[in-house]
Amino acid sequence: MGVVSPAPVSRVDPGNRRPWYRPSHVVLQTGGGLGMVAGGAGFTLKDRLELDVLVGYVPEKHAGSALSLASAKLLYSPWTLPIKDKWSVKPLTVGGYISYTHGTINDEKPNQYPKGYYWFSTDTRIGPVLGSRLSYALPPTASGYARNLSAYYELGTNDLYIVSYAQNRKSLSPADILVLSLGLKLDI
Amino acid sequence: MRLRGSGGILLLLLAGCQLVEFSPNQAYVPTRERSLTAQNLRRLEVQPADDTLRFVFVGDTQRFYDETEAFVASVNRQRAVDFVLVGGDISDFGLTREFRWVNQRLAALRVPYLTVIGNHDLVGNGSAVYQHIYGPLNYTFQYQQTRFICLDNNGREYGFGRQVPDVSWLRQQLADTAGTRRTIVVGHMPPTDEDFDPQLVPAYTAALRGCPQLVFHLAAHVHRFTAGQPFHDRVTYLTTYSLQKKRYHILTVWGQREFRLETVTYGAGN
Repeated sequence: MGVVSPAPVSRVDPGNRRPWYRPSHVVLQTGGGLGMVAGGAGFTLKDRLELDVLVGYVPEKHAGSALSLASAKLLYSPWTLPIKDKWSVKPLTVGGYISYTHGTINDEKPNQYPKGYYWFSTDTRIGPVLGSRLSYALPPTASGYARNLSAYYELGTNDLYIVSYAQNRKSLSPADILVLSLGLKLDI
Repeated sequence: MRLRGSGGILLLLLAGCQLVEFSPNQAYVPTRERSLTAQNLRRLEVQPADDTLRFVFVGDTQRFYDETEAFVASVNRQRAVDFVLVGGDISDFGLTREFRWVNQRLAALRVPYLTVIGNHDLVGNGSAVYQHIYGPLNYTFQYQQTRFICLDNNGREYGFGRQVPDVSWLRQQLADTAGTRRTIVVGHMPPTDEDFDPQLVPAYTAALRGCPQLVFHLAAHVHRFTAGQPFHDRVTYLTTYSLQKKRYHILTVWGQREFRLETVTYGAGN
């Protein structure tokens, strides 16, 4: 009686961050050259900087052989803008990815080609991405971490498409080499 | 269940516009861009025939899209050309988008075009992409009393091992001369090349030698014009330019084994 209880501390403490090596979110996406479906986990390396590690799959019907893809995406999102209530938006995400494809029909056996026969890798791709993200704040996790469910799109391309465009700027347009991914992220 | 169904439809729509790409190695194109070999052969069938066979032969369109447009403009100005034959390496990386970029340009040709598969087309999942877009890797057609035998002879892409070219299939096709006066064999690799399965060179060249109505063997790959009888057996082997060289050949064939070869240079510079 008479003791004023302190105001309840907000359970969501923006400074409350886990170590970088503990996954901060899970990801599910389609497209982007990383699989018909691709899922995985993501790490928050620093404020605004994320690393998503995905495993993707393309069925045989769609590719001539079943493809498994392993990929890593490094993403930097400089701004988070509140919209209203529980909604916020990251208007810009820039980054890059590297992917490895397993299961292609012609998988370059050892000694199949003389050294340097093909100058490019047939299974490893790298490329830039650029996108945006819309987030909805869910109740925070039991351990007090903020938790968003986000939907994102990313426009990207890959090294081989860039080379093709660079040498044919009259007849190819940047739109010809774009790929789109659509995905969801859930903070955990 | 219904949700899964509509999700599937949405995925297919997005895949249809090709922006949502599952893998650059995927083998999936809209229906109208499939089975182009059969589509082009149907066009050739209804084309009014005259008494001379005259066709354009060019190789290696790989990654030369600007040049492909200039090539199409030049061929469309030629008169009395029956069709265009592309000697393989349509793509550079065996990727679906490359095949589509090339076809979108070659589709502007006034005459049908036919292809053989090249070694670059067999990279990654290119074999599946080629079969999806064009059709069988080995096929034949007849036009103006001439039997064309088009085949995959890119041995290195299969790790050699006497699998490719399929010499017994080739022998059967060479033996089938019913209703034709002449035979022409087309493959991407000249058998003199180190990317041709060395163990199959004797059987391949012997099969060709054994066909009395063979006019010549056409190949690309080396990106330049060569002509000769390297096996000293009276079988003529020709190779043609890559598109990048801004040159192509027009072959006119008549009589039993008579032919004339013209070289056309197009585009500015180089």
